[in-house]
Amino acid sequence: MLEFFSDKKVKIISITAAVIIVVMIMGAAGSPILSSGVNFLTKGLSQVSASAAGEGEKTYDELLEENKALKKESADLRTQLVDYYDIKEENARLWKYYKIKKENADYEIMPASVIRRDASQDFYSFSIDVGTSNGVHNQDPVITDLGLIGFISSANAVSSKVTTILSPDLQAGAYDKRTNDSGIVGGSALYADDNKTTLTKIDANAKIKKGDIITTSGIGGIYPENLIVGKVTDINYDKYDATKYAVVTPYENIKKVTDVVVLTNFKNKGEIKRISEKEKN
Amino acid sequence: MDRKFTIVRYIAFGIEILILFILQSTPNLIPEVFGGRPLLLIPAAITIAYFEPEIPAMFYGIACGILLDLGYSEFPGFYTIMLGVICFLLGWVFRDYMVVSFFNATAFSAVIITGVIGINFLFFYVFAGKGEAGLYFLTHYVSKIIYTFLCGIVLYFINKGLFRSLLDY
Repeated sequence: MLEFFSDKKVKIISITAAVIIVVMIMGAAGSPILSSGVNFLTKGLSQVSASAAGEGEKTYDELLEENKALKKESADLRTQLVDYYDIKEENARLWKYYKIKKENADYEIMPASVIRRDASQDFYSFSIDVGTSNGVHNQDPVITDLGLIGFISSANAVSSKVTTILSPDLQAGAYDKRTNDSGIVGGSALYADDNKTTLTKIDANAKIKKGDIITTSGIGGIYPENLIVGKVTDINYDKYDATKYAVVTPYENIKKVTDVVVLTNFKNKGEIKRISEKEKN
Repeated sequence: MDRKFTIVRYIAFGIEILILFILQSTPNLIPEVFGGRPLLLIPAAITIAYFEPEIPAMFYGIACGILLDLGYSEFPGFYTIMLGVICFLLGWVFRDYMVVSFFNATAFSAVIITGVIGINFLFFYVFAGKGEAGLYFLTHYVSKIIYTFLCGIVLYFINKGLFRSLLDY
């Protein structure tokens, strides 16, 4: 019997069996020492193999399909990015005019961009990218947040021509905000190149002076009241009659303006007509 | 005779006109010199008419006129009619009675450019009573005429080159 256990093979088998029995008893008693040890040793390898097995599950066709889907998603995102920049730019432009709308709730506005400044256009007139299909009509005032720019002198379906306040073709009733001295705003060949217009037909006794702010009177019904025209920079006497005229510098550089707003409607638009009808009655 | 070069030439002139229209009407692109900017389409139409027969020349004149009227014209059709008639006459004269030379071309260009721009000024500035006509002519129209004429010299050589390189033999 002792001879049997002295055999080397039997010793190894016996020790192994004993260890297994011990581990089984410990596992049964709630101490997973073997599984913890094995897990500790094999965890890293298992993770790599698991992930490799996961990728390996896809076939070539599936990967091709996934690649196509990713490319499409990438293209969509690029388009969205371009749209985002466009919207951001438009938003910045519209935000600029938000305060106009906020301060003048009665204004119906149509933002526009300058698309042409043709060499044949006198007095820095220009064309904009909105027309009758956008609700723009002849004689509509054109402004920026800095004041009056001009009026629509000709509108077609998709674009319009703007005659600026530097042109003698524009005639608008206006007055000095400080003294209430009134006159007519209109451009002149003498001052147009310096980005200046004039307020003519001012009474010789008027108290208008340099630095005063000129705004529209709204009397004609073409322009709304209180649109800023500019600041008085000089005062002279008219050589043909006993009136004065003021040289007015607009706050906007009309020769370079690129974004404008068309006032398609406002309170008291065409008021002069209604007054005439009332007077008739 | 192989007409493929003629068609290519017509297309080339058409493209040239469109490019000049864009150059002329783009805001703040061509610099102002002494208050004037060039009306590139007038010399373009004239210099094409020196080389083309009267009917194609007339159509190029009309095309340039339409684009000029589109840009800004007090009277729609003014430039269309003017350039249509002038280019027809130029095409006819230079085809049957005169030789196209640099001297002839510059002399005709100077007279026609001054005439067209001058008539436009007379009708739509002086007769419209915009005031200070003399001053405005001196400060804007003289430079516009000279500027346009100088651009016309460049366009003469461009169109001459185009015509010769795309001539049917």
